[in-house]
Amino acid sequence: MATARPGWSRRAQYGLFFSFLAVIAGIIVGLVLLTLSLVAPQQFERVRGAALDITGPIAGTLHEVTATTEGVFTGAGNYWDAATQNAELKRQRRSMLQRMVEAKAIFQENQQLKATLQLRERERTTIATGRIVGSSFNSPRRFAILSAGTSDGVRVGMPVRSADGLVGRIIDSGSIASRVLLVSDRANIVPARLLRNGIPVIAQGRGDGTIDVRPLEVGRNPFKRGDIIITSGTGGLYPPLVPIARVVKLADDGAVALPLADPSTTSFAIVEPPFEPTAVEAEHAPAAGPDTP
Amino acid sequence: MVRAALGPPRGQIGRGPSPFAAYLPAATVVFASLLTALPIVSTSGWYPDFGYLVFISWRLLRADPWPAWWAAPLGFVNDLFTGYPVGFSIALWSATILALDLIDRRTMWRDYWIEWVLAAVLIAIDEGLQWRVAKLVDAAPPLAQMVPPVVISICLFPLFAWIVSRIDAWRLGR
Repeated sequence: MATARPGWSRRAQYGLFFSFLAVIAGIIVGLVLLTLSLVAPQQFERVRGAALDITGPIAGTLHEVTATTEGVFTGAGNYWDAATQNAELKRQRRSMLQRMVEAKAIFQENQQLKATLQLRERERTTIATGRIVGSSFNSPRRFAILSAGTSDGVRVGMPVRSADGLVGRIIDSGSIASRVLLVSDRANIVPARLLRNGIPVIAQGRGDGTIDVRPLEVGRNPFKRGDIIITSGTGGLYPPLVPIARVVKLADDGAVALPLADPSTTSFAIVEPPFEPTAVEAEHAPAAGPDTP
Repeated sequence: MVRAALGPPRGQIGRGPSPFAAYLPAATVVFASLLTALPIVSTSGWYPDFGYLVFISWRLLRADPWPAWWAAPLGFVNDLFTGYPVGFSIALWSATILALDLIDRRTMWRDYWIEWVLAAVLIAIDEGLQWRVAKLVDAAPPLAQMVPPVVISICLFPLFAWIVSRIDAWRLGR
């Protein structure tokens, strides 16, 4: 299809012409599918899930290899200064014990107070645990691949967290792997508040691994470097009191924060049910959210 | 006796194209798309679009690495594995084939520099369109953030072109 005229053969000329038509048809089909996947992303749920089931296990296996290699090196490093580490750990343990007693006392007091206030304590269930095995490489969007899928009970829209903090939420799920929209994605907006003083803020990803935090009330910039941002539970999707990020840089009307659960080092992630499913459903009923691709 | 005859047999005689020569280019493109299964978690997204790089490397090296309409299914595979919205690569890759065919009719001669410039333009269009699509769903970062991945991809193109040319020589038994 490279030359303008492939000679005098009528057959070759037609072949050339039809291959042009086929390519133009390809463009049109692509554009139609693209529109569909932007307007109604759930159309492609099954086929995307199937693709995830192909890449998920490959990434999982390779992840084992790299994790083992890294483990060997850090393990060797730990032996290197075992004595000093030991002393340090003993010191930490002593101080931790004190803190733990304090925390227990506070916990008891808290329970008593809650009992007097008649607050219902919602129990937190874990749907599945999986490993973060890969991510989107080249894209303005920030996704990660989680090694748990619908066979484990994972459904689109569920929040994902790790021991360190909030990771994101599920946007595609195959039967054994799923795709997570990270908190650092531009489309992921998390209602949050400052741990220090409870000022409500909004956390939105910046697409480059960091998070933009802004106060809900316009006025004085409430952030300080080192501030911890936690979820507020507003909106009903994310559970409250999950740490999200730490402020690293102040901006004019907000701050830039670094996610506490760095997906590149997070080993295990937990999938939880939406905090208040009824609230989420009510919100998503009129129109499917445009934030899923 | 000729000196070369004393050396080890070169194995060149009787070597023809490998049996899968017709499908190898497409297979390498699918393989490149599958590179997203590598266990690397990128928080910046500065990795190149491997599938597209290999795709344009093949197309710039040869006019007929695969029948033109294969661009659509190859793009579909890339969409599925990379997590782009389905249809993005289908449209872009078909349009790339069409554009390069039209360019082939106009250009009188080609060399490495022209190919690199062409590739640079195509990569910039690819990244720009990705940004545009992300903007449609309110997920686009500032445009300046798209510069590093474009520059990285453009710098990596010669490497991919070299790998593809080696694979091409191998598949044709040269």
